[in-house]
Amino acid sequence: MSENVITAKNLTLAYDSTEKIINNATFEIKKGDFVFITGPSGSGKSTLLKAFYGNLKPQDGQLNIGGLDMTNIIKHKLQELRTHLGIVFQDYKLINEWTVEKNVVLPLWIAGYSAEVQSSQAKRLLHHVKLTGKEEKYPLELSGGEQQRVGVARAMAKNPFLILADEPTGNLDEYSSNVIWDLMENACQQLDTTIVVVTHRIPMMFNIPYRHFSIDAGGNIREVH
Amino acid sequence: MAILLGLEFFIVFDRTTESFEKSLKNGYTMMVVAKNEMSIDDFRSWDKHVLKVEEIKKSKILNSVNIDLEKDKGENLEHSLPNFYSIKLNKYLSISELAEVKSNLKKSEDITRIETFNSVYQSQYELFSFIKFSFNTFIVFMTIIGFFLILKQMEVWNFLHAQRMKVMEIFGASLFLRSKVLINLSVVDAILSAIITSGVFFVIQNMWIRDTHMSILKENVESVFYLSDFFILLFASISIVLVAVFLVVINVKEEE
Repeated sequence: MSENVITAKNLTLAYDSTEKIINNATFEIKKGDFVFITGPSGSGKSTLLKAFYGNLKPQDGQLNIGGLDMTNIIKHKLQELRTHLGIVFQDYKLINEWTVEKNVVLPLWIAGYSAEVQSSQAKRLLHHVKLTGKEEKYPLELSGGEQQRVGVARAMAKNPFLILADEPTGNLDEYSSNVIWDLMENACQQLDTTIVVVTHRIPMMFNIPYRHFSIDAGGNIREVH
Repeated sequence: MAILLGLEFFIVFDRTTESFEKSLKNGYTMMVVAKNEMSIDDFRSWDKHVLKVEEIKKSKILNSVNIDLEKDKGENLEHSLPNFYSIKLNKYLSISELAEVKSNLKKSEDITRIETFNSVYQSQYELFSFIKFSFNTFIVFMTIIGFFLILKQMEVWNFLHAQRMKVMEIFGASLFLRSKVLINLSVVDAILSAIITSGVFFVIQNMWIRDTHMSILKENVESVFYLSDFFILLFASISIVLVAVFLVVINVKEEE
């Protein structure tokens, strides 16, 4: 039986005590799972993702990520957990004053890898996201699609055990979207990386088995596929 | 830079006023006339500010008044003269403190007259106090302006670096790593500021004051800049920027 990467038991998330965003959710996500989370705007998809990387503490219930209890996690442990996660944002969250290469290797730099390792990994990843030759460009010199590919390359830089992606192809052209889905499929299949993607709609041409969680307007989660 | 300039002005001013105060103190003596001979301990028993007592030879006084007398008449006159003392004080006193010294000494029955040269002393003291007050006011304003400039600089740092620090925090960077870029940048700024401020005072000392004909400045030229000032400025600037950087870093909150 595969180990659980994410375990939620009666999980309730809220920004304040009056309004619950995620309501009493129970689910398990195993190593190597590819999970889509869908739901209407404001249903709590992104909030759930934030809880996965420790940006929001559960109000009630239990949430366990990579063996760590997120309800009582200490700062130091959270920092360590985050160095093993890959996170992709809809608004990219690149560092605009850094070059593309430096952005891609940010997780490696944080982990203290040597400049040689960072450089070779950056080349390999930029090749995968079809941005070879753009190493010295700055994010604002790239198109939205290219910036998101840099974001995906950054998320994969340290071969994380879990990739969390929030609307990664939200506003992208078809080419960039395809590059990103291909990369994620490969990471899931070849590296057994667990991938959780929050999206409005699941891509039509998706080539690997996946799980689908849906959140309704009341913050209730159910697995539909 | 503004804070360092203020600090260096304060250091220079403190040194210069100290040396000016010393020269005023050394240059000032009060004259005391006493019926009987008095020792320094006698004077000190009346007032603790007495530092040094020098007896003025009676013959010297007679010579200075240039009266041509026969020898025995001169000796008689010398014997009949009271004792004259020149007194130096241990610090540069205010007008009221000086008046207090005078009244303390007057309590002695031996002392018949005290000359404090009050009007000269008062004008010097008032000028000195005015200069000191003016510079202190200037330094207070420099400090206030410097403080607001630091707040402004912290806002600029926050604007320029907050986004990067937030992204780095999401990827698990420690507080030190998140602030490393800002620390490096600000420490370089601090070193440059210390060098520039020291350079300004070094140039003032060696190019301007040495060439000037103003004796008051020339006398104090060495006080304008010491090499140790550079290290004081460096220490102060690095301390200030590190505190400012720390405040910026801990106030950057992760986006929710």
